[in-house]
Amino acid sequence: MTDDVVPLQGRSVAAPTWSSSLKVLLRADTTAQLRTSLSLVLTFALPLILLVATGLGKNSAVLGGPAFRISLALTVGLVSIGTVGYSLAIARDRDTGVFQRLRVTPAPSWTIMVSRWIVQLGAVLVMAIVVLVVAAVFVGITLRPQNYLFTVLIALLGSAVFLSIGQAIVGLIASADTLNAAGRLLYVPLIGLSLFGDSDRLGTTVELVSRWSPGGCLETLLSAAMGATAWSGQSWGALFASTGYTLLFAVIGIRWFQWGAR
Amino acid sequence: MTSEAPPVTGLALQVRDLHVSYGPKRAVDGVSLDINEGEIFGLLGPNGAGKTSTLSAIEGLLKPTSGSILIRQVDVRANPRKAKALIGVQLQSTSFQSELKISEIVKLYAGLYGVPLTKPAIFDSLAEIHLGDEASRRFSQLSGGQQKRLSLLIATIHDPPLVLLDEPTSGLDPQARRQLWDRIERIRKSGRSILLTTHSMEEAQSVCDRVAIMNRGKILTVDTPAGLIEKHKKDPNVLAVARGQVTLEDVFIGLTGRELRD
Repeated sequence: MTDDVVPLQGRSVAAPTWSSSLKVLLRADTTAQLRTSLSLVLTFALPLILLVATGLGKNSAVLGGPAFRISLALTVGLVSIGTVGYSLAIARDRDTGVFQRLRVTPAPSWTIMVSRWIVQLGAVLVMAIVVLVVAAVFVGITLRPQNYLFTVLIALLGSAVFLSIGQAIVGLIASADTLNAAGRLLYVPLIGLSLFGDSDRLGTTVELVSRWSPGGCLETLLSAAMGATAWSGQSWGALFASTGYTLLFAVIGIRWFQWGAR
Repeated sequence: MTSEAPPVTGLALQVRDLHVSYGPKRAVDGVSLDINEGEIFGLLGPNGAGKTSTLSAIEGLLKPTSGSILIRQVDVRANPRKAKALIGVQLQSTSFQSELKISEIVKLYAGLYGVPLTKPAIFDSLAEIHLGDEASRRFSQLSGGQQKRLSLLIATIHDPPLVLLDEPTSGLDPQARRQLWDRIERIRKSGRSILLTTHSMEEAQSVCDRVAIMNRGKILTVDTPAGLIEKHKKDPNVLAVARGQVTLEDVFIGLTGRELRD
């Protein structure tokens, strides 16, 4: 359990291993995540409302087929979790000194952030499964077994993209209030762009930008993952672009991240 | 209160020629100090004197420009995790995850120091600081005095040989302050050393065995509170500010100047 032991007058003081620190942090962060009503709404309520609402009345025909409804619900969930929920939670804890308090313990600093990421990825995993189950049971949209697995994996990749965007935002913007405003401003274009990747209704330039935006790439990948379109060169391009976005924004977010309030 | 100090057996902390800079600004400029085992050592200084920066460097939150810090002969820069296991820290403004209950916060920090605490042990610890009934509440729901007591409990949960307290009694009423002094004295009686920063001359005189006065990043003088008065009572700058018999506050203002600091 411990790696460095310093005997001190009959008692020993030891630095726990990074794995035991990570375990303890994960337990606390999971508890905190489950108790945050905003995060629960962003994680589950919003995607499910969209999933159901886009199938009501004439909306279904206008907005697209069943696969589009699922991918839209997942995209909204992922953008909400990554760019709004995650970045706000990090900024708030930074402002109030939570991170500095954790950093004076022997836990390596990276475990503090990795724990947060793992909890967010877990939330995305649960959200994706819930959306797919609701789609199958209550909305009547079913996929082949391998497509379910593929869709969940793509959702996890998408969450990495949007978490890294959230990390970049929280790295570049010092104040939680400014970050809140910026997150809301980014939210609309990130989701909006994902809607027009397959349509030239707003012109070919918008279509091109939309298709290769983080949300557009995710839409392309989800569509292929669900079997609505064939896996193609564009799918590979979207996969590489998503990986590139993740790396780029993660580097920006880690490079400029400050643990304490500036 | 300070007459029952245990005999000096060795150094708990050794700081040599410490420099900390924020860009062009030198916050700590060549600070050297030794803290003996079982000693309560106070750092006094006006705002911006470099007290918190000195503590932050010892805690590993700030990277010094140069100098060495040894905690029980463990080099803070070479072995940060081992060094952090040897210290308990109460930051100037501490906050914990707002979603966690008090008992969960105690469990989290005990875990981060590798101390396995059972549920009854957590409640016993909280009862000892008169927070037994507050175990299910959140940190933000506690009064200022309760928050300080909890912070001190967490700082000492792993029985560290050195405890660092940054303005531990600021904002407390006289009753809460006296209670906290008693706790600090009990910590010392259990064989630990304490380094605290304070603006309160009364606190320095009541609690500290030795006191250093800092100004503009440098330590100006070090001695027992009575020794400081004796050493500087004929200093013209001290006499100029004294109103009758020279006090520790007269020495402080005489050495650091009358101008306001932000």
